[in-house]
Amino acid sequence: MRFSDAVDFARTSLGKRRLRTFLTASGVMIGIGALVSMISFGKGMQKNVTRAFRSSDLFTTLMVMPGGAETPGRNAPGEDPDDRPRPAAKDAGRPEAILDDAAVAAIAKIPGVAMAYPDIGFPAMVGLGQGGGEFRLIQVVPAAVVATQARKIKWGRGYGGDAEEGVVVSQAFLRRFKVTDPAAAVGQKIRITTVSLDLGRLATLNLGSILAGETSPVAQESYEFPILGIIGAEAFGEEGSLAPSGVMIPPGPAKGIKRLPFSSVWDLFRVQGGRMGYSAVTVKLGSLRDLDPVRDEVRTMGFATFALADQFDQITKAFTIMDMVLAAVGMIAIVVAALGIVNTMVMSILERYREIGVMKAVGASDGDIRRIFFFESGAIGFLGGVAGCALGWVTSLVINRVVDFYLARQGVPAVAYFAFPVWIFLGAVAFAIVVSLVSGIYPARRAARVDPVVALRHD
Amino acid sequence: MSPARPPFVVTQDLAKTYLVGDVQVAALAGVSITVEEGRFVAVTGASGSGKSTLLNLLGGLDTPTAGTIEVGGALVSGMDRETLARYRRLSAGMIFQSFNLIASRTALENVELPLLFAGVDKRERRVRAAELLDQVGLAHRAGHRPTELSGGEQQRVAVARALANGPRLLLADEPTGNLDSRTSREIVGLLAGLNRGRNLTVVMVSHEEGLVREFAHEVLRLRDGRLAGTEASS
Repeated sequence: MRFSDAVDFARTSLGKRRLRTFLTASGVMIGIGALVSMISFGKGMQKNVTRAFRSSDLFTTLMVMPGGAETPGRNAPGEDPDDRPRPAAKDAGRPEAILDDAAVAAIAKIPGVAMAYPDIGFPAMVGLGQGGGEFRLIQVVPAAVVATQARKIKWGRGYGGDAEEGVVVSQAFLRRFKVTDPAAAVGQKIRITTVSLDLGRLATLNLGSILAGETSPVAQESYEFPILGIIGAEAFGEEGSLAPSGVMIPPGPAKGIKRLPFSSVWDLFRVQGGRMGYSAVTVKLGSLRDLDPVRDEVRTMGFATFALADQFDQITKAFTIMDMVLAAVGMIAIVVAALGIVNTMVMSILERYREIGVMKAVGASDGDIRRIFFFESGAIGFLGGVAGCALGWVTSLVINRVVDFYLARQGVPAVAYFAFPVWIFLGAVAFAIVVSLVSGIYPARRAARVDPVVALRHD
Repeated sequence: MSPARPPFVVTQDLAKTYLVGDVQVAALAGVSITVEEGRFVAVTGASGSGKSTLLNLLGGLDTPTAGTIEVGGALVSGMDRETLARYRRLSAGMIFQSFNLIASRTALENVELPLLFAGVDKRERRVRAAELLDQVGLAHRAGHRPTELSGGEQQRVAVARALANGPRLLLADEPTGNLDSRTSREIVGLLAGLNRGRNLTVVMVSHEEGLVREFAHEVLRLRDGRLAGTEASS
């Protein structure tokens, strides 16, 4: 029996039982559709997160913290990043390298470093318009850094220089103040209220009354700055990498703001010999290739480092696991569909029992009969697989539209949450055919074993 | 007196036992027959005498419990399943009382089936099947499905199908059982014509004494699974 004849047999037989073929193939279609949607969602998430990392230059960013590692080299996989930002315990009386301006300047001179700037932030009460304020960390970010991410500023502009009086805020920050039209917020002034120690007053106060809470050396100061630019919201939080707290101010005006010299109590543990240094320095690299040599150099200077690029392998593994879990969910539908195929094919054998007998009587071998039923199973898989790809694709598009519609109301631009590389479709159809063929093994063997004498007596 | 012909179908102590529940039922017990090449032999007997069992064994549809079958020098009783399928496909054509055509296929497609399983190219298949239908007088019904054909026409299609791969043995299991007497006569006449014209060895199971006596060269009588007698006919 030729291949083309087996295909023709399958086509004729399935065509004769259109409704049942449709229903059985629908089972495969739903299973494959679910599988395609799940895998494409996993791939889409991976693609979006990777893109978000790349667009935020996170792969070429090295964080430098006090508390150095003795041995240069890459962070061990699975190393807890929280080990680094915390101030290291001062052990064995060994003085810890201080992350001060001199250190920042030295780091900036390491070959491969494009830019190095300290992470400076201070707590403040921030208000906009007539309403009350809310507690925020104000980040001091150099103009050059903002310039590298200028494309993220959707309304207004970045600051012209480190001395410009003004701030850049995020769309999410404005939303906290019920601002729905970011464009109209450009030029409006935000109010920053800080607390500081009034040293003149402190000298006049009695320490006992301060400790008893009767008097306080703390003073409040308010400042107003115009909003120069607004960072647009992104679906995967890319804007957060630039301004996680939502308010950025250039170093110039930041120096004029009276404030406490620390942003958290942890900072006080970094004080050595009356000098505190920065809690962290962000180092922008020229390329990913510069990561290892720069990190080694920084570590030999006595500082700890943290690179997200090292963690990306872990993130990729996490996505692989997520893909597998999603695929496993889709597989449940495939297993149900496979049982449907077995059922349909067994029913087909019972209905065509006599026909099988006739075919054997006129010379069909066991292999011929097996092939006929095998091809029918495969054809169901092929039809269901192709339809399933279409279903998965359409379903994903609909879900994407619904999510986009919902997020658009929150100012988040449309994003493709599902990725459809060609291999997903080809793999899905191939998988559907394989599952169908496996489902067809038992019915095909059963059909091949039919005794022609018994079958010819069958009504 | 006609010259002696070489034996074509030879069975020795042929036996077939079926297990019905826990009971062994002997359908055939020690049947030894010889059918010469090019002869038209009829097998008669009461219902349950083992006629159809004998025909199924000769046609390779079933395997004997004991004894041997030789057809054209080939030991059919020793064949494995694959070889038996090949034997059915190429060496022994069969027709049945209930025609056993596939209802969803046209007359032409039914005749094509043995050719299809023999791996014959589709175009050649079509030509050969059309020729065979023409030979049985049904060229004009090639595109009809079995349900659109009369009983006699269906049996003619079955005959054409049985001849598709040019077998030297034609086995007919009560081919007139579902036909009126006129059509029965036509069908048996057709078989007799093929027997004469193609030197085809024909073994036909039938109840119809008149037709048997008119067309068969020899009549084998079975009773309770045993050969009860052999007699020359016309």
